[in-house]
Amino acid sequence: MSTHQTTTSSLHGMMAEFASAEELLDAARRTRGAGYRNVDAYSPFPVHGMDEALALPKSPVPLFVLIGALAGTALGFGLEYWVSVIEYPIMVGGKPFFSWPAFVPVAYETTILLGGLTAAISMLMINGLPMPYHPVFNVERFSHAMTDRFFLCIEATDPKFNREETKKFLEGLHPYQVSEVEE
Amino acid sequence: MNNADSNRALLEGAQKRWLTIGVAGALLCAAGGFMNAEQFFRSYLFGFMFWFNLTLGCLAGVMTHNLTGGDWGIATRRQLEAGMRVLPLMALLFLPILFGVPKIYEWANPEHVAHSAILQQKAGYLNQSFFGIRAFVYFSIWLTLANLLYKWSGELERNPSLAIVRRMENLSGPGILIFFLTSTLAAFDWVMSLEPHWYSTIYGLLFIVGQGLAMLAFMIAVTTWLSNRGALSEAVGTKNFHDLGKLMHGFVVLWTYGSFSQFLIIWSANLPEETIWYAHRIAGGWKLIAIGLAVFHFLVPFFLLLIRNNKMKSNILVKIAGLILFMRFVDLYWFISPAFNTNGLGLHWLDLAAPVGIGGLWLATFYGQLRKRSLAPLPDPFAEAEQAMERA
Amino acid sequence: MASVAHSAPETHAPDEVVHPLIAPGNSYKSITEKISNVILSGKTPRVWFFWFGIAFLFVNILGLSATVLLLIGTGIWGITIPIGWGFAIINFVWWIGIGHAGTLISAVLLLLNQKWRTSINRFAETMTIFAVMCAGMFPLLHTGRPWLAAYWLMPYPSTMGVWPQFRSPLIWDVFAVSTYLTISAVFWIVGLIPDFAALRERATSRFGKVTYGMLAMGWRGSARHWHHYEIAYLLLAGLSTPLVVSVHSIVSFDFAVSVIPGWHTTIFPPYFVAGAIYAGFAMVLTLGIPMRKVWKLEDFITMRHIDCMAKVMLATGLFVAYGYGMEAFMGYYSANTYEGFMMINRMTGPYWWSYWSLIFFNVLIPQLLWFRSIRANIPALFWISMSINIGMWLERFVIVVTSLHRDFLPSSWGMYYPTVWDWGLFAGTIGFFLFMMLLFIRVAPIISIAEVRGLFAETRHGHGKKHGAEEVAA
Repeated sequence: MSTHQTTTSSLHGMMAEFASAEELLDAARRTRGAGYRNVDAYSPFPVHGMDEALALPKSPVPLFVLIGALAGTALGFGLEYWVSVIEYPIMVGGKPFFSWPAFVPVAYETTILLGGLTAAISMLMINGLPMPYHPVFNVERFSHAMTDRFFLCIEATDPKFNREETKKFLEGLHPYQVSEVEE
Repeated sequence: MNNADSNRALLEGAQKRWLTIGVAGALLCAAGGFMNAEQFFRSYLFGFMFWFNLTLGCLAGVMTHNLTGGDWGIATRRQLEAGMRVLPLMALLFLPILFGVPKIYEWANPEHVAHSAILQQKAGYLNQSFFGIRAFVYFSIWLTLANLLYKWSGELERNPSLAIVRRMENLSGPGILIFFLTSTLAAFDWVMSLEPHWYSTIYGLLFIVGQGLAMLAFMIAVTTWLSNRGALSEAVGTKNFHDLGKLMHGFVVLWTYGSFSQFLIIWSANLPEETIWYAHRIAGGWKLIAIGLAVFHFLVPFFLLLIRNNKMKSNILVKIAGLILFMRFVDLYWFISPAFNTNGLGLHWLDLAAPVGIGGLWLATFYGQLRKRSLAPLPDPFAEAEQAMERA
Repeated sequence: MASVAHSAPETHAPDEVVHPLIAPGNSYKSITEKISNVILSGKTPRVWFFWFGIAFLFVNILGLSATVLLLIGTGIWGITIPIGWGFAIINFVWWIGIGHAGTLISAVLLLLNQKWRTSINRFAETMTIFAVMCAGMFPLLHTGRPWLAAYWLMPYPSTMGVWPQFRSPLIWDVFAVSTYLTISAVFWIVGLIPDFAALRERATSRFGKVTYGMLAMGWRGSARHWHHYEIAYLLLAGLSTPLVVSVHSIVSFDFAVSVIPGWHTTIFPPYFVAGAIYAGFAMVLTLGIPMRKVWKLEDFITMRHIDCMAKVMLATGLFVAYGYGMEAFMGYYSANTYEGFMMINRMTGPYWWSYWSLIFFNVLIPQLLWFRSIRANIPALFWISMSINIGMWLERFVIVVTSLHRDFLPSSWGMYYPTVWDWGLFAGTIGFFLFMMLLFIRVAPIISIAEVRGLFAETRHGHGKKHGAEEVAA
């Protein structure tokens, strides 16, 4: 491994560990302020204010959900209309073929069904989950990331990334520990 | 100090302006009453019911806030209390209806009753003296609730303590229950019995939801007005409006839910004694109003309020609230007027004069009440204790 | 009234104590450990085995009752004409109502920003899923031949060219219940992902690590992931809220859009929804009270949670009583022969006992919840919630049986006698529900670890306040 350490290609990035959400948030702000762009933070629960600190772009999930939900309405109502008016019209209870009040409940349910499925599936897809392997798990201390430790990773793809300087910069943030993340 | 003086001047100005409009409207109505007594009482009932619903909505709002707390109420508490303090005026304004019962209600017309077995069977409940007694009981209950709550919140202001908060909570719990029952029965008595053969068990709830919605929209309107003029503390901000907007959104959905449920159940069962109510309300021009309700009481505000920004910016939110207040008028009109105009839309000028006149008097009383106490949020010893504990 | 204007010095009674949502003295680590130890400690309390054994017995009764039913047919049930809907529909509505508290707690309270939802939402969501499974069995079994139900219920192009009848509320029900099960499951799984990641980290056995690792789907707590995750979760809550209301409304339409007196009444949708929440909260307390004791979760399910749940029960219970009141009042006010007879028959007819026990269990007993001291008394709450469980079942019995047993023509009057197979299926589903809940407690966190930690961070460091300010600025 040591021979590879001279090149950054085998590195995923440089990771600093913090003891609290506040320290992580502060570190994220300062890292962003120092000009780093490809930065990610890892925490056992969502840290409020992190979206702004890392300047994350607005999530497209709401838009997808809106499209999914409207498609659900159209599909549900369309199905009912086609079945009851065009494909197999049957007179039941003296009601018109196109009984729109009676079509509302099913169209309503399909709206929610497709909207909800879109929310979950688009979230997983955007996040690239399921993901069987990720380099951050190579860091030994990362085995506490889901319990009570907080991590900040500057990725090697960042234009400003430099092994020595980035390490020095992270150490300047007073973390618990700084470690290299191998690919 | 300066701020308090400017507030007083602001509210006094508003009070005078609305009083002028109210008196002018009342005179117009009186003139209309001499020309066409029957139409006067019908229009008067419509005007009365709108402002009455708002008043009761404010009473329910105060009690709900006592029980649940929440940012929406912190910003609007004083306005809600002032709104509930208009109740004595509404009790007074109810008297003309009491006199007009034979002109308004079919069940009070002996000729109609003589021809209807159903009305004869209902006569034990739907008769003039019992109607009056019931109204007296409702108003006594509401006035007692409003007076006690107002008195205690005054005590809370002077001497904040958990005991007073508890006392207000203890009254508000049963108070809400009593409000639900009396408000439901009042809706049956004053509006549903316009068509005395017809009945619907969800009717009271539809009225209560309408009261809540009118209250929220009015609170958004008046709070924006006050805060734009710098009359409210700086604590009133985006968060409060966001909460009010969310609540209004919820109530728009609730209104739609209740209205559509009633429609779907009656439409599906298709029993003539029930469908007649809708038949009257889609006859002639009424159909247009019905469609207008679906579009402007539900679709438009629903989608506008989905957008977060519209709920947070008070100057956008107030426009949506204005639309909803207007649609509350229309909805109530669609509930009341087709009972008299079964063949189609029949708009009389008194239908406009009555709500404006009563509204002028209502708003003048409202601003007068608002003037009596500070506009700063009520102290909340309970929340302070909780915060102290969370910090510990 | 004058006496209340006292100005005695303030005394803080013991009940003025504000209970915390997380007991003091915890940390991120202790939260994670305490909750995950329920699963990972390897020490299963003896009482678990006891109830698991009983539940397993009843699962077998369920299997037996269902097998006999499929072999012989619905004739083994007590349903006849005029009572064509019996236990199957009563139990269906009962179970689906119980499920509703889960969605209410996890979705509605999330939207309302009520922090007390945090440590009970997972448990309640789990309850939802298993309760809906129990509910779903009944309509399927009621068809007698569930393998044929597909073409009666599902809109697919069959060889006969026949489609479902979309004007029927029973078809609305199929869509409502299947959507409800799907979306509740999705919501639940999305909520579980970060917790599975926590378990992956804490599991000591190879098997545990691999299993939880697969379930966590490679979740690594990245800020970018949380960003999309939180929005998706909130949107799911936003969609679940109208969903939960629609499901029980549609269940009520099964009755209300007919013309049967006692079924056809407009208050049904909101009153069913309130009843569902009422029943659901009662079941959450019935199971939650012993659970928190056995697994020592008092740190997270505190007296504050219990008090809040009791208040919700009181409010929804009063609305249910309002519904009963409206029905009774309209029985008189409508001056409609059938409505009037239905009401009098309910109160004084052959099933008078069911109506009055319903009032006793569902209306009278829960009035105790008005008292603060009762809301702080765990055994009392347990028995009150039991009373509500019974009362809500009786409510559906009253609605179904008393409305049907007196048909319009006296020649078609009848009585309903449930058979041993009716009881077997009912008891069997209760066993199945317990069985699934007990299994779940052993394999996945019954309290959301990630959310409790988030709440802990907020209350601990005043992050909630800061967040509020930022939200305003945004």
